[in-house]
Amino acid sequence: MLRMEIALFLVLAFIAVFYYSAGRRHTPLHRTFSQLLAVLLVHLVFDAATVYTVNHLDTVPLLLNHILHRIFIGTLVLAVFLFYQYIAILVEEETGRPRRFDMAARILLGVSELGIMVLPIHFAITEQGNYSDGIQVGVCYLSIAIYLVFCVILLAGSWRVLDRKKKIAISAALAIHLSVSLLQAFHPTWLISGMGLTLMTLAFYLTLENPEILRGELVEQKMSMLYLKSQVNPHFLYNTLDTIRIQAQLNDDKPVADLLMRLVDFFRLSVKVDRQMVALDDELELLEAYMELMCYRYPQLTCTYDIDPDLGGVLVPNFILQPIVENSLLHGLKNKGYRGEVRISAFRTKSAAQGDCLEVRVMDTGSGFTEGKKEQVEELLKHYDKKAPKLEGNSIGLLNVQKRIKLLCGRGYGLWYTENPSGGLTAHMLLPIGEENMAIGNRENEGDDVR
Amino acid sequence: MKKLRVLLVDDEIMIREGFKRLFDWEAHGCEVVGEAADGMEALAQIDALKPDIVIMDINIPIMNGLKVIQVSRMKHPQIAYVIVSGYDDFSYCQQALRLQITDYILKPVDYEEFGICIDHLKIALYEQRVAAEETVNAGSGRQEENPAREERVITAITRYLQEHLAEDVSLSVLAEEFHLNPQYISQLFKNEIGVGFLAYLTNIRMEKAKKLLLSTSISIGEISEQSGYGDYRVFTKVFKKSEGITPSQFRRGFLEEPGTIERKI
Repeated sequence: MLRMEIALFLVLAFIAVFYYSAGRRHTPLHRTFSQLLAVLLVHLVFDAATVYTVNHLDTVPLLLNHILHRIFIGTLVLAVFLFYQYIAILVEEETGRPRRFDMAARILLGVSELGIMVLPIHFAITEQGNYSDGIQVGVCYLSIAIYLVFCVILLAGSWRVLDRKKKIAISAALAIHLSVSLLQAFHPTWLISGMGLTLMTLAFYLTLENPEILRGELVEQKMSMLYLKSQVNPHFLYNTLDTIRIQAQLNDDKPVADLLMRLVDFFRLSVKVDRQMVALDDELELLEAYMELMCYRYPQLTCTYDIDPDLGGVLVPNFILQPIVENSLLHGLKNKGYRGEVRISAFRTKSAAQGDCLEVRVMDTGSGFTEGKKEQVEELLKHYDKKAPKLEGNSIGLLNVQKRIKLLCGRGYGLWYTENPSGGLTAHMLLPIGEENMAIGNRENEGDDVR
Repeated sequence: MKKLRVLLVDDEIMIREGFKRLFDWEAHGCEVVGEAADGMEALAQIDALKPDIVIMDINIPIMNGLKVIQVSRMKHPQIAYVIVSGYDDFSYCQQALRLQITDYILKPVDYEEFGICIDHLKIALYEQRVAAEETVNAGSGRQEENPAREERVITAITRYLQEHLAEDVSLSVLAEEFHLNPQYISQLFKNEIGVGFLAYLTNIRMEKAKKLLLSTSISIGEISEQSGYGDYRVFTKVFKKSEGITPSQFRRGFLEEPGTIERKI
């Protein structure tokens, strides 16, 4: 039996190392889970110790046996209390309703811990092995049963509002613990209470407390914050701009009206921030609006497009073209006094690893890489996942595009730069062609034969 | 042709002013006869003025534009509607397209595009008239006797255009085919349908392209040729101007449910 306790301890220690090493926000939920992990580790040590001592009653001094036993049962009740607490906080966060049984749970904890410390211990000696029974263990079982009832009431009371994932995690953990507790009650010699607690923790860790999932959510949050910061109520902004545009046109100022029209277009299109994937046509529309405004400001700037019309519907990550073009302008063409050309093309291509792909190119006739910049950009784009998004410098835009392509399309796709023989740079973006678009594409090839 | 009477419905005065003063209603054979700033007022004005066309914003106070259309449609089935909508209400538009003679235009309103939209409505009204006449003729035992001879010529010309829209048709081609003066044909379009020959041709070409985009999966380059455009770039441009969206956006918009656009690959 000792072997099981050691295995459980190792599993929990493993989880604890991962959990504590992942930096996270200090919410009550996470605090409770950390406490739970610590209490459980202590509990398992004493669990293992008592498994040994209870079966060697004649060799181990009775006082030591009692002390170990009281701590073992005490931490067991504390751990179950923390489980209750964890579920209660989870439910509170989800429903917004205050925790109902907190006071009762705390009083129960105090009372049962007191009982466990002072009530007499009785050891039952059987052929299958020894175990403790009597009033002290009875208190322990009773309080665990009450905590489980609290949890079930909480779960049932907020069943409809709870997120599906959380609902499943809580129910699974409760079911595991309930069945393990019942088995333990009917087969006292099995000594499996530690297993129930470990499995319950594992269930929560794998579903709700997984650091990878949490990290992913954090990154997502940061990105949406970036968007929000740059767009304070865009609907208000573009409606107002549209009103000004009409007024300008009523005042016979056509150039101003046209510029405002493009600006309104730009804002209107950049409002679709809530979507992760958009059609290539949507991206190009945004880009056209942006480039027309830039070309108006710098009349010697030109922009040309060469887009395969059948690829217009391919879904690409939102907002990936404009940052690349902006980069070409600010770090390439600006150095040439904004005299030059940006050429945007999109076509179907074959990649060895990914098969049929979409490639989007942004070519500029700017100044190209400066000394050492090439390696720097290559390094940045290659090790996109190593660095946390830095908010300073020009690299954030490129890094952001690279990250989103990799995150949303897969690691086989991405962004890279080449130098043009005639000067300037070309940004290449390899992107997937969606399945449904593939179907249209194949039939289109048949159409080509007929033509 | 008698002038079409137009009612403007939008809760923003500047948008109504823009429509009134920045669009050449006269040149498009229309006149603005009234305005309304909310849904109830719109219903009252429709009842009082009985306009031919209502320019309708969707997002208006008290009762939304689609609801107004639904309600007034029962009383006045002959009225045509142009829905003016913000980009965010785009899914509504597709719902509205299922109603009869209805067109839509996206905000911010480009008045040139709006002209295409009005032409489009007139052509739809004309086609409705022709269809009604045909059923009347069929009902009265196929009488070949038609009150206006010009009406018959224009139907023959438009039928010819429908059949040959993929080819290089022009006024002079038509003149040769029908043994008529090109200027006369041009005037015929203005008088009978209320739009120019080119606007009519572009319109039916776009209708054909839309039909092909939705009912087939042939490539956009091919569709461009079948609709009479040798260069798909020109086709895409004209389509965008006429429909407000690109051909592939149009195809995708109808193939997918509005909610699934966000779906990841």
